[in-house]
Amino acid sequence: MDAFNYFAMSWLSPELLGLTALGTFLGIYVGAIPGLSVTMAVSILISFTFSWDVNYALCLMVGVYMGGVYGGSRTAILLNIPGAPSAIATALDGYPLAKKGLAGEAIGLSTIMSVVGGFVGIIVLAIAAPTVSEFAITFQPRDYMMLGILGIMLVGSLSGSSLARGIFAGALGLLIGTVGLDPMTAEERFTFGVVELWDGINPVAVMIGMFGISEALHQLHHMNKAVIKQKISRIIPKWSDIKKYMPLSLQTSFIGVIVGALPGTGGDIAALMAYDHAKRITKNPKVPFGEGAKEGLIAPESANNAAVGGAYIPMLTLGIPGDAVTAVFIGALFIHGLNPGPLLLVEQPHMFWFTVGNLTLANIFVLIFGLTGIRLFSKIVECPKGILIPLIFLLSIVGAYAINNAITDIWWMLAFGVFGYFMRLYNFPVGPVILGVILSSLTDENWRRAILSERGNIGDLFISLFHSPLSTVLFSVIVLILFTQSPLWTKWLKRKFFR
Amino acid sequence: MSSQSPMIKTRKPGERIFCFLLVLGSVYLFWQAYNISGFSSLSSPGAFPLAASAAMVLASCVTFLNTLKLPAAKDVSFAYHCFPPVIATIMALILIYSVVLESLGFILTSFAFLFISIQFLYRRSPLITLAITLFALIVVYIIFRLVFQVVLPEGIVPEREILSSIKSLWR
Repeated sequence: MDAFNYFAMSWLSPELLGLTALGTFLGIYVGAIPGLSVTMAVSILISFTFSWDVNYALCLMVGVYMGGVYGGSRTAILLNIPGAPSAIATALDGYPLAKKGLAGEAIGLSTIMSVVGGFVGIIVLAIAAPTVSEFAITFQPRDYMMLGILGIMLVGSLSGSSLARGIFAGALGLLIGTVGLDPMTAEERFTFGVVELWDGINPVAVMIGMFGISEALHQLHHMNKAVIKQKISRIIPKWSDIKKYMPLSLQTSFIGVIVGALPGTGGDIAALMAYDHAKRITKNPKVPFGEGAKEGLIAPESANNAAVGGAYIPMLTLGIPGDAVTAVFIGALFIHGLNPGPLLLVEQPHMFWFTVGNLTLANIFVLIFGLTGIRLFSKIVECPKGILIPLIFLLSIVGAYAINNAITDIWWMLAFGVFGYFMRLYNFPVGPVILGVILSSLTDENWRRAILSERGNIGDLFISLFHSPLSTVLFSVIVLILFTQSPLWTKWLKRKFFR
Repeated sequence: MSSQSPMIKTRKPGERIFCFLLVLGSVYLFWQAYNISGFSSLSSPGAFPLAASAAMVLASCVTFLNTLKLPAAKDVSFAYHCFPPVIATIMALILIYSVVLESLGFILTSFAFLFISIQFLYRRSPLITLAITLFALIVVYIIFRLVFQVVLPEGIVPEREILSSIKSLWR
């Protein structure tokens, strides 16, 4: 009964309901406007909402996340510009549909199937997370250490074309996370004698700099890019289409939720795998794939929204982010005093059911906002970058200041913003930096506890990995992920999906 | 949306220097990490930073060597394609904004920053820019200062007095 009360909390409180609606609405536009990302929005939001009650802040951020994943599809269909990486596969058939004058139908269908995917993800989260969490309570420091390593290995999937650049960025993040007084011995690390550095560098300043300032600076390169607009007709899809494509939507939703739950894979990979699945099981599509097949639109849209629920499973139960957005989200949860990980469901089960209820509510708002306000949408998406970019700078600077009402955080944010700009310019991924910052203390502290428990002997630590089935499984997963990130596997994957 | 290019085929201007600076920076950080507790033990406070900075040194060296092998991009200049005047100007504006934010206050500095940067990037008549700036500033102020209660620097504008006198009008 308690679980149900917490589930319904955001539905019954007008303030929480309003904030979820506002977040979802903003998320759809943030996800849709090329140049703005959900990661950027959540980073900036953390700074403005950290003094709020945790429930209020979570409602707004969950809404932005849920809406943002869906919003990316809008511009993928209308402009052939995926608003988010998870909408890359959507553009393959969505844009050809729009070019045929079926933009409205494509948006309507993608909205319904995104919501179906979202619900599948949430149901799996509600069922699987408590079981995973119960299991995770038995974790030893060495298991936590391996969880940290598992998370860090995400750099492979966030690295883009160069793993070395990804490793550099991830290691830099880990190092940034160690700045300040050592939590175990209070020894100074990278403080250079500056007292202000004893507390470390605020991760929010790093996030806003890396995702807000650097991304906006990078957008200045594309100021004069013209967009081709499409005419939008009826939005509400035909009932016969919904019935016809529902089995495919459910199948690809399950693909999405499983892929989303795996550390290192997010909505973008889920969408591509679902697209491939649709291509394989659709024997005689009415329209060939790539030329406006509805199956090619439905599959990635169901999968990427289902991946949100999937990504919440390792995030809430193990404290491991699935991608850059969930890494920022974990940062937000820490700032609000929550401790995502095995103990969250034991110590604060209400927060889990509150989040599940809130995700469900946000998904309903995706349906409402997705099928309405298309005229307003067109106007906002067409907002000139000359106005939008200065506003992002303003919000980033004010956001950094609002963390501690200190100008120092602005300097950190600017330094990381400028550094992040050059990193992007020279093809260094910025996602792994945030991942490193978030996972630094988890890995550092548990590595030291694990090695201390084996009296400093690394050989004994290695042998101990095979004493417990759990450690053995985690170690095997690390080895497996190492293999899947090897150039051999990447080449095979590219051949399979982009042939 | 990520704006990273999918393939690195040529070397951008300044990339070699940037990668070299990363190598130097990584070596410096490795040295700093070593100074925390040396190679004393695997559980020392410096062990994890040493490992992270060693990974940085290795990865930056590999990147630098790979960059050396790449041919330079043709018809691309650093000043035009990598650090064009528009970015340099905006960076300077952000820097000035951040420096004077606390002393002059949020309202004045944000107004000046928005007006100048929108005029510079959007290039419409100053009146249109003024209208956009005022509208954006009022919306941001209402949402963040009044609704979300975010503390913003007051500077030389007697914000609290103005707000209380506006409130007293309604009493």
